[in-house]
Amino acid sequence: MNAILDLVLGVITSIGGFVEVGSISTSAQAGSEFGFQLLWAILIAALMLAMLTEMAGRFATVSRRSLIAAVRERFGIHFQAVPLAAELLIDVLLLAAEIGGAAIAVRLLTGVSFLWWILPIGLAVWLVLWLCGFSVIEYGVGLLGLVTLSFVVAAWKLGPDAGDVARGLLPSFADDDRTRYAFLAVSIMGATVSPYLLNFYSSGTIEEKLTEKELWINKTTAYLGVAFGSVVSMGVLVTAAMVLQPRHIIVNSYEQAALMFVPTFERWAIPLFALALGIGCFGAAVEITINAGYACSQALGWSWGANKPRREAARFAFAFTFVLLAALAVAMTSVDPLRLTMISVALTVVVMPAVVLPFLVLMNDEKFVQDHKSGPIGNGILAVVTILAGLLALVVVPLEILGG
Amino acid sequence: MHLVRDLLDKLVVDRHGREIGRADAVIVDIRPDAPPRVSAIEIGPAVLAYRVAPIFGRWMAGVEHALGIAEGRPLRIPFGDILDTRDRIKVDRAAGETVAAALEHRLRKWVAAIPGS
Repeated sequence: MNAILDLVLGVITSIGGFVEVGSISTSAQAGSEFGFQLLWAILIAALMLAMLTEMAGRFATVSRRSLIAAVRERFGIHFQAVPLAAELLIDVLLLAAEIGGAAIAVRLLTGVSFLWWILPIGLAVWLVLWLCGFSVIEYGVGLLGLVTLSFVVAAWKLGPDAGDVARGLLPSFADDDRTRYAFLAVSIMGATVSPYLLNFYSSGTIEEKLTEKELWINKTTAYLGVAFGSVVSMGVLVTAAMVLQPRHIIVNSYEQAALMFVPTFERWAIPLFALALGIGCFGAAVEITINAGYACSQALGWSWGANKPRREAARFAFAFTFVLLAALAVAMTSVDPLRLTMISVALTVVVMPAVVLPFLVLMNDEKFVQDHKSGPIGNGILAVVTILAGLLALVVVPLEILGG
Repeated sequence: MHLVRDLLDKLVVDRHGREIGRADAVIVDIRPDAPPRVSAIEIGPAVLAYRVAPIFGRWMAGVEHALGIAEGRPLRIPFGDILDTRDRIKVDRAAGETVAAALEHRLRKWVAAIPGS
């Protein structure tokens, strides 16, 4: 019974925690500029994420190591130094973007400039991490995040043509502005397959003491959670496509994105969008912050864990506090959160090969995964994903310059 | 034993299983009339940073000095004090009594002063 409860909670929190500043902004831009045409990018990104998440959970369950700890141990510091530094930099930028997104959400509700909300939101993130254990962080954030299902409700009520949606799920080329189209496709991948998500998930598996007998929970949670979560992202894209594209509204800010709720929710549109954006961003901010603590501690062999009293893992507590302060400093420069998001997403794509490649080795190393190695099909798909990640990393910077 | 695979970068825990750090360096004695011998492992951010690039090592040593935690660092654990290397490197030490814990102790004073820690 507890296993079923864990599974249900795991799937629900995956749905609630799926949508954040990156997925909202890339999906809204894709929908407003290219209609349903980029739905396939969300589908492919979700398949990649589900597979990598399942592997990260299986690896952590069997080896009792998080991804970052295992990469340090298996590949050494020379391999890890640059990707780890890049991941921490992305954490800071993405965290600043999430806090900025949450601050804009509060501005939509109150009308007070978003800069005034950055420090209070940062303090709230820190308090959650200081006072709560892992379950509260994971389940609390995920359950509150269910408000993002309003994107699915909006898309459903707008009644999109099933044939058009199905055609959007098949990869296609745009008729014009192909550079922008390709840039958005790559950005959707970067926003979905975030390195922090994978290490957060593997660390969470260790925090929750999942056993090998419960690997089916990991597999089901990973695939169902990501599948349902990606439906929320698709809801953002479909709603933007049906509301914003016909009115030629391009999403250059979150305020413009909020307009996608107006036909469905009318006077509740802005408050509901603000809640969905704010809670999605706040939840992601909590997860990114604690993941920064995980990353530093696991790479250097410090004591870590959200379930440990903070005084027993002081370096871990200091690490996540420091990263949060750095992100607040970036956010306080009044840099546009949407712009920051797109830069973070592009950087994520650049480091994606270094995130994906270790899976090929780790998931086949009996010393770590014993008899839970990946099969030929899993390895084949992973090899394709690794090559795809390499190609995306090569094209993302030119695309950012030309189509961003 | 493969030094890189079985020792370097592996998690080091004390006799009670508490984290001390990672094996940031392996010290090998080169002897003129005998085969090389592994004499110790070292743990410390300056050693680790030196492996990435010597300039980072010097910079990190300067940071440790500025923080007043440089004395006795890096922690050097003789090979004879290693109890087990199979899953993690278990050493015959108590984590809290080593110099590797100097920063943890320093930060703990601040952290413990904050309610809810």
